[in-house]
Amino acid sequence: MFLKDYITDIYKGVKSLLIGMRRTGYYFTHHKEIITQQYPDNREELNLPTRFRGEVILLHDENNEHACTGCTACELACPNGTIKIITKFDVSPEGKKKKALDTFIYHLELCTMCNLCVVACPTDAIVMAQNFEHSVYDRSKLTKKLNKPGSKIREGIE
Amino acid sequence: MSASAIIFYLIAAFILTMGILSVTSRKIFRSAIWLLFSLVGIAAFYFWMDLTFIAAVQIIIYVGGIVVLIIFSIFLTQKAGEQMPKPLRSRTLFSLLAVFFGFALTFLLIYKNTFPEISSHPFQLNVSDIGTQMLSTTEHGYVLPFEVVSMLLLAALIGCIVIAIKKESK
Amino acid sequence: MLSFHSITDSIDSWLNHTFSPTVALLLECTIVAIAAIALFATLGLVLVLMERKVAAFMQIRMGPNRVGPKGMFQSLADTIKLVMKEGLTPDGADKFLFNLAPFIVMIVAMLLLAPIGFASGFQIWDINIGVLYISAISSISVIGILMAGWASNNKYSLLGAMRSGAQIVSYELSAGLSILSIVVLSGSLQLSDIVGAQSNGWWIFKGHIPVIISFVIFIIAVTAETNRAPFDLAEAESELTAGFHTEYSGMKFALIFLAEYINIFIVCAIGATLFFGGWMPLHIGNWQSFNHIMDYIPSSLWFFGKTFFLIFVIMWFRWTFPRLRIDQLLQLEWKYLLPISMVNLLLVTVMAIMGWYF
Repeated sequence: MFLKDYITDIYKGVKSLLIGMRRTGYYFTHHKEIITQQYPDNREELNLPTRFRGEVILLHDENNEHACTGCTACELACPNGTIKIITKFDVSPEGKKKKALDTFIYHLELCTMCNLCVVACPTDAIVMAQNFEHSVYDRSKLTKKLNKPGSKIREGIE
Repeated sequence: MSASAIIFYLIAAFILTMGILSVTSRKIFRSAIWLLFSLVGIAAFYFWMDLTFIAAVQIIIYVGGIVVLIIFSIFLTQKAGEQMPKPLRSRTLFSLLAVFFGFALTFLLIYKNTFPEISSHPFQLNVSDIGTQMLSTTEHGYVLPFEVVSMLLLAALIGCIVIAIKKESK
Repeated sequence: MLSFHSITDSIDSWLNHTFSPTVALLLECTIVAIAAIALFATLGLVLVLMERKVAAFMQIRMGPNRVGPKGMFQSLADTIKLVMKEGLTPDGADKFLFNLAPFIVMIVAMLLLAPIGFASGFQIWDINIGVLYISAISSISVIGILMAGWASNNKYSLLGAMRSGAQIVSYELSAGLSILSIVVLSGSLQLSDIVGAQSNGWWIFKGHIPVIISFVIFIIAVTAETNRAPFDLAEAESELTAGFHTEYSGMKFALIFLAEYINIFIVCAIGATLFFGGWMPLHIGNWQSFNHIMDYIPSSLWFFGKTFFLIFVIMWFRWTFPRLRIDQLLQLEWKYLLPISMVNLLLVTVMAIMGWYF
C-alpha cells in the first residue's frame, strides 16, 4: 500500500499546485481586476473605500454648530493621548452654569487612526474623514484645533 | 609556431601556474579554487584535442563533483578562513625532492616512449559508438570495468544510506 | 527570403573574400562576441521588465508604468542606477575571490550560450556533445555561487551558498535524467540533430505521456537549478536578506543579477529545444496546408516564442507558489523526482526500442 499512498501524494500535490496556478493565471489575464490607483493623476476622481480613515474631524453644520458636549469620553478612549479637550463653563440666560467645549485639540502626528474615539463619542460629534495628504514642513502644524472659531454646541444636545 | 601550438603552450602555462598556486597558497579555500582552475585547464586541453566527450566528462566529474565536494568539506571545517601556518623547512625539502623525482620519472617515460603519428581525426565518435563500446564484451570492450564500477558505486550508495538512516528509538 | 542563415552566410563569404582566413576567423569571433554581449544586454533589460510586469499582473497591480511608455524603460533606468553606484568590497572579505565571483558566474552563462540554435542554421558552435556540454558547464555555475558566498565573509552569504550548493548538486541529477530521455529518443547529443529529429512533430507530442512526465520534471529541476522561487532558498529574502549576493553592490551585483536572468533564458531555450522542437515550426501530421502556413513564420520567431513561453511558465511558478523548506526541497528531489525520472527513463527506453512513438 506504500505505492498507493505515494501516487495519491503526487496526485494531490500536483492538483493543489494547478489550482494555485489557475488563480494567478486568472488574475494575469483579467486586467480589470487591478485595484492599484494612479494616485497623483486621478486626484480629482480618487475612489477611496469607505472604511479608509485619514483623520479625525469635528462635524459642523451650516450654522457653525457642532455636537460636542465636552464630555472628554474621546480623550479617555484614546490609547496614545492624541486628543486634548479644554472645557469652559457657559452661563445660560437663567444663570445656570453648564460645561461646554472650549478647544478640541487633536495631535495628528500621534494618531494611529484606530477609530476608538469615534466609537466612544456619545453624541456622534466626531467622525473619521478620508483626507490623507497631511504632509507639512513643520511638525507643529500637525497639532490641530478641530472646533471652528465662534462655533457653539447645537441646541438640544446634552 | 602555429596558432594551435601557441594555444597549447598558453593552456599548459595556465594549468601549471594554477597547480603551483594551489600548492603554495596558504588559504585553504583559495587552494581549492586554484585546483578548480587547473582542472578546468585540463578540460580545455581535451577541447583543444577535439576530445569533446572526455572534456565534458572531465568538467562534470572533477569540477562539478569533486571540487564542489572539497569546497563543501572546507565550509564545514572550523577556522577555514584563516591563514595556515608556514610549512616546516624539512617538509618543504622533502616535498621538493618528491616533486623532482616524480618529474624525472614522468619525463623519462615520455622521453623513452615513441608516440605514433596520427594524421587524421580518429576521435570524431558519436554517442552510440561510445555507448556500444562501453557495454561490448569484445576485445576492447569496457563491460567489465563498467560493471565493477557500478557495483562499487552501488555499495557506496548503500553504505551512505546505512550511515545516514535514523534508528528507530525503542 | 531574409533569414539569419543567409545573413551569416553572406557575412562569412564577404569576410573570407576580403581578408585572409585567419583574419576572417578572428573578425568572426569578434562579431560573435559582440552579438552575444548585445543579446545579453537586451535579454537582461527585457526579462527584468517582463518579470516585474508579470509579477504585477498576477498580484493585481500595475507594475512599473512611469518611465517611458507603459514603463518600458524602467529596467534601463535601473541599470543606469546600478552602473552609477559604488561597488563596495567588505572589509574582512577575500578581495580577489569576491571580485572574481561575478565574472565566473557571467562567463559560465556566456559559455552556455554556445550550442543553442537560435534559428535554422544559426548557431554559434554546433558541438557534437551539445547536451552533455550544457550539463557540464552548468555544473560550474555552482562554483561561482560558492565563491561569492564564501568570499563575502558574511554568515548569510555563506548559508545561502551552502543551500544553493546542496540544491544545485541534487537537482542536477533529475534534470540530467529528464534530458537523457530525449537523448534516448533522438539518439544524439548534438542539439541540431535533436531539433532535426522533431521535424515531423515535437517530442512532447510524439513521445506522449513519458515525455510529458520528463518535461514536468525538467521544468521543476531547472527552476531549482536557477535558484528561482519556490526553490529560492539560496537568496531567501525573508531569511537571509539576499543570500550569496548580500554583500554585492553596483556593477558586480548587476553582473550576478544579469547572469541569473541569462541562466533562466538558457535553460528555457534548452527546454524549448529538447521538448518543443527548437526553431521547428508546429507541424501536424498530414495537414499539408496548415504545415505550409506554419512554415511562413520565421524560425527565429518560433524559437523565441517557445523560449519566452517557458520563461513565462517559470515566472508563473515564482509568483504562485510559496517557498519550500530545505528538508522539503531535498525530499522532493530524492524521494519524488529522482525515482520517478529513473522509472520514466526506463519507460522511454522501452518506448524508443519498441518504436511506440509517433
